[in-house]
Amino acid sequence: MDNDDFLGYSPEDKHQLQLERLQNTLNRAFRQVSFHRQRMKAAGIEPGQIESAADLAKLPFLERADFNEHYPYELFAVPLRDIVRIHTAPGTSRNPTVSGYTAQDLGNWRHMTRRALSAASVSPSDILQIAFNPGLANWGRDFKDAAEDMGVSVIPNTWLSTDKQFMVLRDYKTTVLVTSPAFALQLADYMHRMQVGPAALNLHTIIIAGERISDERRKSIEEQAFVTCWLHYGLNEVPGPTIAFECKAHDGLHINEDHFLAEIIDPETIQTLPAGQTGELVLTTLTTRAFPLIRFRTGDKARIIEAPCSCGSPLARIEWFGQRTDDIMKVDGVNIHRQQVKSILEGALPVSAALTNCRVKDDNGRIFLEIFIPMNEEFFSDEIKEIEKLLRKTEDRLREDLGIAVAIRLVEKSNPVNPDDL
Amino acid sequence: MESMLRIRNLKCFYGRIMAVKGVSLSVKQGEIIALIGANGAGKSTLMEAVSGILHSWTGEIIFEGKSLKGMDPPAMVSKGISLVPEGRLIFPPLSVYDNLRLGAYTRLRQRAKEEVEQSMEMVTSLFPILKERFTQPAGTLSGGEQQMLAIGRSLMAKPRLLLLDEPSMGLAPLIVEKIMEVLETLRHKGHTIVLVEQNAQAALEAADRGYVFETGTVVLEGKADELLSDQNVKRAYLGKDYEEFDDG
Repeated sequence: MDNDDFLGYSPEDKHQLQLERLQNTLNRAFRQVSFHRQRMKAAGIEPGQIESAADLAKLPFLERADFNEHYPYELFAVPLRDIVRIHTAPGTSRNPTVSGYTAQDLGNWRHMTRRALSAASVSPSDILQIAFNPGLANWGRDFKDAAEDMGVSVIPNTWLSTDKQFMVLRDYKTTVLVTSPAFALQLADYMHRMQVGPAALNLHTIIIAGERISDERRKSIEEQAFVTCWLHYGLNEVPGPTIAFECKAHDGLHINEDHFLAEIIDPETIQTLPAGQTGELVLTTLTTRAFPLIRFRTGDKARIIEAPCSCGSPLARIEWFGQRTDDIMKVDGVNIHRQQVKSILEGALPVSAALTNCRVKDDNGRIFLEIFIPMNEEFFSDEIKEIEKLLRKTEDRLREDLGIAVAIRLVEKSNPVNPDDL
Repeated sequence: MESMLRIRNLKCFYGRIMAVKGVSLSVKQGEIIALIGANGAGKSTLMEAVSGILHSWTGEIIFEGKSLKGMDPPAMVSKGISLVPEGRLIFPPLSVYDNLRLGAYTRLRQRAKEEVEQSMEMVTSLFPILKERFTQPAGTLSGGEQQMLAIGRSLMAKPRLLLLDEPSMGLAPLIVEKIMEVLETLRHKGHTIVLVEQNAQAALEAADRGYVFETGTVVLEGKADELLSDQNVKRAYLGKDYEEFDDG
């Protein structure tokens, strides 16, 4: 286990540390990022006026659209030469989301991920396999770095077919699997169908990240794959995978409160809600150097649990509900904004984006984005092959930009598809 | 462990000028904390507020659970806080011995004569040179010796929290090293130390944690070794990488 001083802090010391770090973050953001400075000035507030976590409510929100507008580096708070890693994730419209990390930032993510893995009883004697889709490759790196740091044997994230993943899982004697709910379900289903017994695999732990999983499905994974599941919460645009994580009590997710300050707001009125109420989770980074987030609206529905956990950790918990409060779809753990899909389509095909529709499709555990496009005159070509070619090219483009599996279906113009009807 | 000193939203004023603009920081029992930053960043002002010299401040300063609001320096000294001021401020015409005894003024008034003798023993064993110079006027000491005297004088008050303002100022590197070693010894003796320094390298090497000040605010806090390896701290305060510092 790490020498994790913060877990021994009294509530008063915890709040003191959070206040110090919040004020430092605001001071740095105000000085170094013109976006934050202008927004604070427009709101008539200076960092010195934030005297408690409750004062956060005086500050404006940061939203995903801001990443698009200030693409690629305008929200960075350090010179580029201090950045040691640059990540890309799907954005809200034309531009992807770019985030940067200093060496200290990566150290912080390693620390948080180690803490989360330790809470799931992962130890140096484990063999940990990472199986994410390419859209979550960023997280794969964070898990790899942290697990290696702990002395765990790591099978890094590689995009393999399901059969190959199973082969590695079995032959390499994997004990811990880090993956999305979809793959965990596929695995459980496969083991059930093949009547694989508990002794056939060494697997004892599945860490589920990227998406909330229902209690029912989780139970079936645990029963069919003979494992214990642990849920992690993270954001894939501004990575990290381990913003909050389950402890052995499996009763809510502990937030890394030494690195993040959490608030819950009403997404309609954007007012802060009192502790215990359900609303949209809003996060402020406390230690991030390169890409600070100030009141970032996650779009995730959650509730803060302040009552102490039976595990004794001083970290407050969130209950994560899985639903969204915005227009984002979760495709195998990756946040996909409808607007981005539409703007890619408009650039690639002679269609009006307003007429297109999409949904997340689960085809026996293979999760992909299914897109419906109405046929129109511009599409007509002498050869059906030409149309096919254009569609396949567009699918490739979407796959590359979004990092997820995609299928485009043409539908009749007079009969546009409403995803709610599907 | 609970914090020994806890400061929240401290704002310090010289007349209408705000020199410290809302600083929060904390010090745990047994820690050495370094406050680093350029001249005029507010570090010394914060020390003046904590030691009771400066009264015009708002916010909270809590020492061992009690507010220090409205207390004057003698009260602070009695509570266990001692300041080693910038520029040492020893009394040059007085002998080294008398300078040291003055540090125990509040205790002598409480007739704790024997305990004061013990402190004198402790200080002279820490700085044997001071014993050799006992009868000399303090003004005749070298810079390094005067700094030892200033620290020794503070220790005579038997503080639990020792505040040092620029102890390395004007001293040769070897003497600075010696002073920093003394701080480590003092920590082992149970003292908690806050150190203000422009010599960020020396201070962070001696400290457990540090706070980086810029124009009256804190912009960074962290473990000393993390701050030593921080690119921004290196550029701004450790005088490294200057030749490449133009890419913005």
